[in-house]
Amino acid sequence: MNAQDADDSGNHAGYVPVVTGAVGYVHNVNAGVTTLEPQINPVLLVPFGSHLLLESRTEFTGFFQRENQTTGPFTGKVFKSVDYAQLDWLANSHLIATVGKYSLPFGIYSERLEPIWIKNIQDAPIDVNIGLRTSGAGDGFMLRGVATEQPGYTVQYSAYFSARSNINQLQAARTAGGDASIYLTHPRLELGGSYQRFLQDRQINNASAYVSWQPPSIPLDLKAQYDYTRTGNGYWLETAYNFDKLQIPSLLRRFQTVGRMQQFFALNGGGNGVPAINTQRFDFGLNYYIHDDFRVISSYGRSFSAQQDANIWNVGFTYRFVMPLWPERKK
Amino acid sequence: MKRYLTFLSLLVLLLLGGMGASALQQDQPSTPSSQKASSTASASASHATQLTGEQVFQANCSRCHTPPMSIPQRATGTIIMHMRVRARLSRQDEQLLLKYMAP
Ligand code: HEC
Repeated sequence: MNAQDADDSGNHAGYVPVVTGAVGYVHNVNAGVTTLEPQINPVLLVPFGSHLLLESRTEFTGFFQRENQTTGPFTGKVFKSVDYAQLDWLANSHLIATVGKYSLPFGIYSERLEPIWIKNIQDAPIDVNIGLRTSGAGDGFMLRGVATEQPGYTVQYSAYFSARSNINQLQAARTAGGDASIYLTHPRLELGGSYQRFLQDRQINNASAYVSWQPPSIPLDLKAQYDYTRTGNGYWLETAYNFDKLQIPSLLRRFQTVGRMQQFFALNGGGNGVPAINTQRFDFGLNYYIHDDFRVISSYGRSFSAQQDANIWNVGFTYRFVMPLWPERKK
Repeated sequence: MKRYLTFLSLLVLLLLGGMGASALQQDQPSTPSSQKASSTASASASHATQLTGEQVFQANCSRCHTPPMSIPQRATGTIIMHMRVRARLSRQDEQLLLKYMAP
């Protein structure tokens, strides 16, 4: 069974434009300094038939801290950034062509886990900037799709080229790269790798390897990523356990526990968006799903480095919304 | 270097352990809690026959985030198109999902 185009009949799916995305609030205390972070990240989806999709996401994130870090009234501001604004042409199973500003497919964090309603622990990994300089996005084109689909596995790929841009809200670096992964359907295990060549100023190779695994028999989600660049390398490993299959009262089944460990090793003095010194961090999270799209989040983390050991606390909520923009319009 | 080896062996152990656990689970008769497992098992047992939309949903929609309990029907096409781009799903998977989610 090769991936091929089936015909469009046999369903009543509608193709109306949609505003989706998330709102959330995170109360963060890092080494004694409190930051209040309200966020709203709308995603606009406008389909043209069933093969063309315009999609964009804008982030509005507030950062409010006390005037003197630990004393005084809260002040701060709201930052706006366009994460992506792209047009996708879904030609067939093997080819989806994208133009515009797109999230860089480097590892699994940026493209998949970064939205606040998805990530299990709100703080980004220490090595998150590897492969994502300068803005996490590329300006140019990307090809992606299914290389082959077999009963037991699927192989996916993406390849992109991005031009340098300093235009407001369209900042990107000159880079080229790609990603490939194999998903084993039966054990629900995905193994993949990404490569990027940073083509601006000093040329740099970046690489990443990742695992994502949801064993069918246990409500566990395991994700891990290793990243390498000239100025450092590191990994994070996260497991989340959902209580939903346990024989316990239904209100307790909505809990999720999360553990994450990370190590980062600076090379050549660090820099380029990664720390200059070796850093380790452990996080423990407890999330409660009031509904599948609404959860209360909390986490405690401790980070260790030669400079400082710090405790990091996060509490808050995230809500994912989906709003079709107008009533039924069949394609 | 040593730390990587520890990390790698930890990961490999975890993976092997889990694969073993899921293999064992599939040998047992299906109980409500192993329903997901057995539906995948039967999916791969019947190679020649096509996967159902439900199986495609089960296998894919919780890989990255909590799967939605429902999507307004008039937006299903748009959202599955979006997920096809994000998750690099095949056109065939898209069609099966649409049949399952907006019959
Ligand atoms: C490869 C990871 C991945 C997989 C697999 C995946 N999703 Fe998503 N999904 C995402 C990401 C990332 C977003 C958020 C998009 C954004 O904010 O830009 C998202 C958003 C959504 C949303 C919110 C509306 C929207 O389109 O943004 C819905 C509903 C959804 N996914 C349903 C599904 C369903 C149903 C499946 C199974 C076919 C699925 N997802 C599989 C990554 C994934």
